[in-house]
Amino acid sequence: MEQAPKLALKGLSRTFGDLTALSSTELAVKPGEFISVVGPSGCGKSTMFNIIAGVLQPSTGKVLIDGKDVTNQSGHVGYMLQKDLLLPWRTVLDNIVLGAVLKGGASRAERDEGVALARRYGLGDFINHYPAALSGGMRQRVALMRTLAMHHDVMLLDEPFGALDSQTRLSMQQWLLSVWEKEKRTIVFVTHDIDEAIFLADRVVVMTPRPGRIHEIIDVPIERPRPVSSLTRPEFVALKQRILGTIYNNASPANEEAAPHA
Amino acid sequence: MHDPTENRSVLLKIFYPVVALVLVVVAWAFLVWFYEVPRYVMPSPSDVATHISEDWQTLVKGFGVTFLEFLLGFTLGAGTGFVFAVLMDMSRTVRGILYPILILSQAIPIIAISAALTIWLGFGLAPKLVIVALVVFFPVVVNVLDGLASVDKDVLNLVRSMGASKFSTFRHVKLPATYSPLFSALKLSATFSVTGAVIAEWTASTSGGIGAYLLQANSRLNTAGTFSAITFLAALGIVSFLLVVAVEYLLTPWKSGHKARRWSRSYWQE
Repeated sequence: MEQAPKLALKGLSRTFGDLTALSSTELAVKPGEFISVVGPSGCGKSTMFNIIAGVLQPSTGKVLIDGKDVTNQSGHVGYMLQKDLLLPWRTVLDNIVLGAVLKGGASRAERDEGVALARRYGLGDFINHYPAALSGGMRQRVALMRTLAMHHDVMLLDEPFGALDSQTRLSMQQWLLSVWEKEKRTIVFVTHDIDEAIFLADRVVVMTPRPGRIHEIIDVPIERPRPVSSLTRPEFVALKQRILGTIYNNASPANEEAAPHA
Repeated sequence: MHDPTENRSVLLKIFYPVVALVLVVVAWAFLVWFYEVPRYVMPSPSDVATHISEDWQTLVKGFGVTFLEFLLGFTLGAGTGFVFAVLMDMSRTVRGILYPILILSQAIPIIAISAALTIWLGFGLAPKLVIVALVVFFPVVVNVLDGLASVDKDVLNLVRSMGASKFSTFRHVKLPATYSPLFSALKLSATFSVTGAVIAEWTASTSGGIGAYLLQANSRLNTAGTFSAITFLAALGIVSFLLVVAVEYLLTPWKSGHKARRWSRSYWQE
């Protein structure tokens, strides 16, 4: 008997006019699992992501969290994008507790918890700083803490490290894994970067465009914790080849431009 | 102020304007003396200083009157402008109807309506407040509207995914985004507002403000009096501008520093 899924997508689809951005999609994510989603532009990653977050309506299908129907409802999952979207007029701490503030104000306990998060993950000295004083990597860490502080079991991360330079990105990936191991959250991580997808995930969901759909779900049988050296191991390279093959056999470059909602 | 370089930069900020002021006064005194300009054409700085010391009380009282006109009119105009911008941001219909009216209000020269305002509102404070308010109103509406429209769509999606209500989105995301453009508009219009107050006093000058003083001195060919009034008006413009800058400094701490101020509510302490 399979473990009951934390997050399940049942027959989820979305069309924009004539265009099928996401054709009927099934996905089950186990509690505490780390799933990466890769695919070229127009494969429906972001559409799927926005539907799960509850900010976009699906044309058909349901989103279930712990078996409960949360389709079209926001506020059930943590949500983080490539842009950190920190509010420049709020300090690091006030950005971390934003979720509570938006729902009527952060209590002393919630603020204390925000401080504890900042300390645990290396921003203890920057609690009272404004985002403008932080580096790109630090800002993304604050954005992730803001997501963590909302206490959702499921977190959606949409290319959160896409705008960082490659060295910062690598250290952020390791940092994210350490956070995930400590916090025991379920993570759906969207990325363009296949190395990143494999390095982080238990399973990689490969999506292909026209129509946007899940093409294949691939297990990553590399044991954790994963040091940087696992990036060059033969299993890793073989997986990467397989995923690249899937993506490039299904995406003809002539159609690349047609994607309206990547 | 623990950082010595910071102390130095503050000193420099005061030092340069003082030097500039001294240079202007010295050049003025020199030119008047060198070309032997008669006093009724252009008084020297010392003539003006003498006049100011003789008529000190009237001038200070006038300064107070004009400053009050500025302060109340400015607040009135900025407040109304802000409310208009928020309403226009909320509804496309409201925006469509108000925008042409706003532009029309700007197309009419202030001096042209000041006489009509005196007829409608009398010789008291009211017409002056309206004129000053009209000066600030338009830049505030336009800038605040820009600020509200400039909020990143992704931020709005994010706070929606966090379960924020419309009101809390406005309060925590849209409202603070208007502060920067709002203060740009206020700084630009602060000195113009003083001009507005002077024009208003010219049409209905029973209040005893600096504008009225200027008009009287001018009609008597009292150039020392005229220049005293000009000196006070310049001071008034600078004070108004600095006041706006000070309020901006207090309300937008993220623009002037890396960290929350120690005494502010958002500063976290054990």
